[in-house]
Amino acid sequence: MNDQMVIDKAKASLGEKALDITNPAPRRIFIKLKVEDLLTAVGWLKTEMGFTHLATISGVDLGQTFELLYHFANNYTCVNLRTEIPRDQPRLPSICSLIPGAILYERELQDMFGIIVENIPDGRTLLLPDGWPEGNYPLRKDWKYERPPEVIPGGKK
Amino acid sequence: MATVKTLIYLVIYPGLLFLFLYSTFVEWYDRKLYARLQNRMGPTHTGRFGLLQPIADFFKLMAKEDIVPERADKKMFSALPAFGLAIVFTAMLLLPLWNYSLDKPSVTSFSGDLIVVLYLLSLPTFIFFLAGWSSTNLFSTIGAARVLTMLFGYEVPLFLAVLSPAVLANSWRLAEIAAFYRQRPALALVNLLGFVIALICVQAKLERTPFDIPHAETEIVGGTFTEYSGKKLAIFRLMMDAEMVVAAGLLATVFLGGFPGGPLFGLLNFIVKTLFVIFFLSLIRATTSRIRVDQVVSFAWKYLAPLAIVQLLIVILVKGLLS
Amino acid sequence: MKFQIPIGPQHPALKEPISLRMTVEGEVIRDADIRLGYNHRGLEKLAEQKTWIQNIYLTERICGICSHSHTTCYVQGVEKLMELEPPKRGLYIRTLVAELERIHSHLLWLGVAGHEAGFDSFFMYTWRDREIVMDILEIITGNRVHYGINTIGGVRRDLDEQQVKRILDSLDILRQRSEYYKHLGTNEPSFVARLAGVGYLSREDAIALCAVGPTLRASGVAMDVRKDDPYAVYDEVPFEVCTADTCDVLGRTVVRIKELFQCYNIIEFLLKNLPAGPVAVRAPRRAKPNEVVSRYEAPRGENIHYIKSNGTDKPERLKVRAPTLGNYAATIQMLKNGFIADVPLIFAAIDPCICCAERAVSLVDARTGQEKIISLNSLKSLSLKLSAGNKRKREAEWPL
Repeated sequence: MNDQMVIDKAKASLGEKALDITNPAPRRIFIKLKVEDLLTAVGWLKTEMGFTHLATISGVDLGQTFELLYHFANNYTCVNLRTEIPRDQPRLPSICSLIPGAILYERELQDMFGIIVENIPDGRTLLLPDGWPEGNYPLRKDWKYERPPEVIPGGKK
Repeated sequence: MATVKTLIYLVIYPGLLFLFLYSTFVEWYDRKLYARLQNRMGPTHTGRFGLLQPIADFFKLMAKEDIVPERADKKMFSALPAFGLAIVFTAMLLLPLWNYSLDKPSVTSFSGDLIVVLYLLSLPTFIFFLAGWSSTNLFSTIGAARVLTMLFGYEVPLFLAVLSPAVLANSWRLAEIAAFYRQRPALALVNLLGFVIALICVQAKLERTPFDIPHAETEIVGGTFTEYSGKKLAIFRLMMDAEMVVAAGLLATVFLGGFPGGPLFGLLNFIVKTLFVIFFLSLIRATTSRIRVDQVVSFAWKYLAPLAIVQLLIVILVKGLLS
Repeated sequence: MKFQIPIGPQHPALKEPISLRMTVEGEVIRDADIRLGYNHRGLEKLAEQKTWIQNIYLTERICGICSHSHTTCYVQGVEKLMELEPPKRGLYIRTLVAELERIHSHLLWLGVAGHEAGFDSFFMYTWRDREIVMDILEIITGNRVHYGINTIGGVRRDLDEQQVKRILDSLDILRQRSEYYKHLGTNEPSFVARLAGVGYLSREDAIALCAVGPTLRASGVAMDVRKDDPYAVYDEVPFEVCTADTCDVLGRTVVRIKELFQCYNIIEFLLKNLPAGPVAVRAPRRAKPNEVVSRYEAPRGENIHYIKSNGTDKPERLKVRAPTLGNYAATIQMLKNGFIADVPLIFAAIDPCICCAERAVSLVDARTGQEKIISLNSLKSLSLKLSAGNKRKREAEWPL
């Protein structure tokens, strides 16, 4: 299985759904999708192409939209599904029903970008502390960290 | 004169002072041997060859802050270390060191003292259990449960293994058993299997690797001793060292012919023979990894107990042949 | 009787803070939960404010054990973004350090496994021999832990003949010692009794839960980025992917020991075929707007960096996925229905490296099972409130 075979099959199976397929480097394939087609594409990758290993999910804040990349790998090549969701409606379907190992990455996305992952089996916060204020999502570009003043009890005022 | 002798017996040798010093020496010996087997140096700094390190540790712990948890059973929590130490030191007095005569049983050497020593050595296990239980800490409670679970494993094989030489010697008195094997050293070889079993069981009783399950630090933090600190922990540590001395002394009496030769030679005999036993205990500690509590019980009942019974059968057979 | 025991955030078996919450029945674990975030340093956010060069040293500090893994992964991604071709000799030295790091990490893991199983002699022995590798690394790079040898476009230091000879000599000792550990780790009865059958992770589960590295390979899946997606010079080096099919901690031990031998072979090959030439090329300060996915086989498993540039001297986004995160989901699966005694071993078997969140303390009330998380400041005020009326304790005195 080489890159060209994967691209050909993607064109044949996904057809119109694959908005854009690029192959910028050997063993790196980027497929752009609409968010509605994400589950179909993941299912196709897993069952027909044997891409069972989800390396991680990367989120990027592009300003108006969030770009999400699902990095899949198998023994021959690495396929990256790219999708975009609008910033004011950050909703994403969960792929945990297909790939159970995605749970931690999806929880991380919820924490860091405030993306609402629908149908996630376990949606608690993963990384942020429990007292973290609502509506603060650290990896959004407009979030700035301000160090809270530390008060040492009994120290100098 | 008799009063002075009793006082010396209780306070100096082999009572409080000797046992305290010898326990710390044994701890040093064990630590040093363990370290050398692991390619380390062991204690080097305090005293010559680090000999005073255990004493320094003891006094350091004595000076540390002593914390009793809010929810613990405070009276029991505080009393247990003292009880434990007293029990172990009492057991030491019953070992036939010098204050006995073979013909005349006395208060420190009487028929059945073997059973009493074994009983006194069982009590520390319950002390550990109660210590863990009264701490009410989650880890201590698990440790306490493990102490008792292990007790069911090793106690029966230990009793069988220690009692079979007594059966051959036809006596329940430690001094007489030792004298019997001194007269006929060849017969001591009959008990070789029992000696090995007893060594393993003593290792389990002392809660040392591979049986350090009740206070396995990587699993349940400090186990039974999680909440103990300061003086109480120091006393518990001293108690475990003393228990090692007494258990080694018991094995030396029963299997290796005791400690003849009056106060001076008896002492030399005692030191050489107990260090011999403790050498094996350290060796086991260095060459094994900790096993699980269910593995201890199944190991004890699958291998140790049947072998102990085989040992008893051998002894009975030999006894039949001799008479 | 069911009760919950907390392992962590502070626990002797854990070298870094993480919280494992076990629901146990007697000694058997019925359910496990994992809570991350005690060590989160906001590194991905910080990387967006640093230049390409500064980020090399930032990524190096993601982890203390696999520091070279993260820099290599980052640097080779940035080299693609800048369209640089590092010289062959530089790549060879980079791979050499990577393999030495793998040896040091695996020896460290063997020792930790021994310690968690209560086999301290094994721990002492393996860590003594690990010193040999640490010394070699110091000779090559000048540092024992954070090597700082990678730079964009190659490496920062060259090797000379004497160093090559010294490394080859040390390899012989290491080979001999590893043979001994292989024998010991798979034959010592009490050690094997602790490892065999513990932390079972079936092949199907390992794939479904996206496990990586030795954990995955011990479940019989031959997946190794070095083979599947060769980077640096791995397409020239002959080596095998080591697997085991026992799916337990013993399998993970065997895989790691086998990998040690592969590492020795790789290093020997690299040193004997070291090409001449420069070790680095000059790198520009900016990268054109582009994106790259860089994968790397760290000692613990697959390491993946996603880097996006925007034409300036700083990255637009740097996403780091360390191998341990990929293994957490599998760990929870492994812990279920195990014994409490096996928790440290199972958890250590993925070789955890915890690098994630912020200041928070988790308190479990043993009586009610209620759990509350308190921030450091409120904990301080709580302790002040509780101890306000107390008399000050007498100063400690020497008891004699």
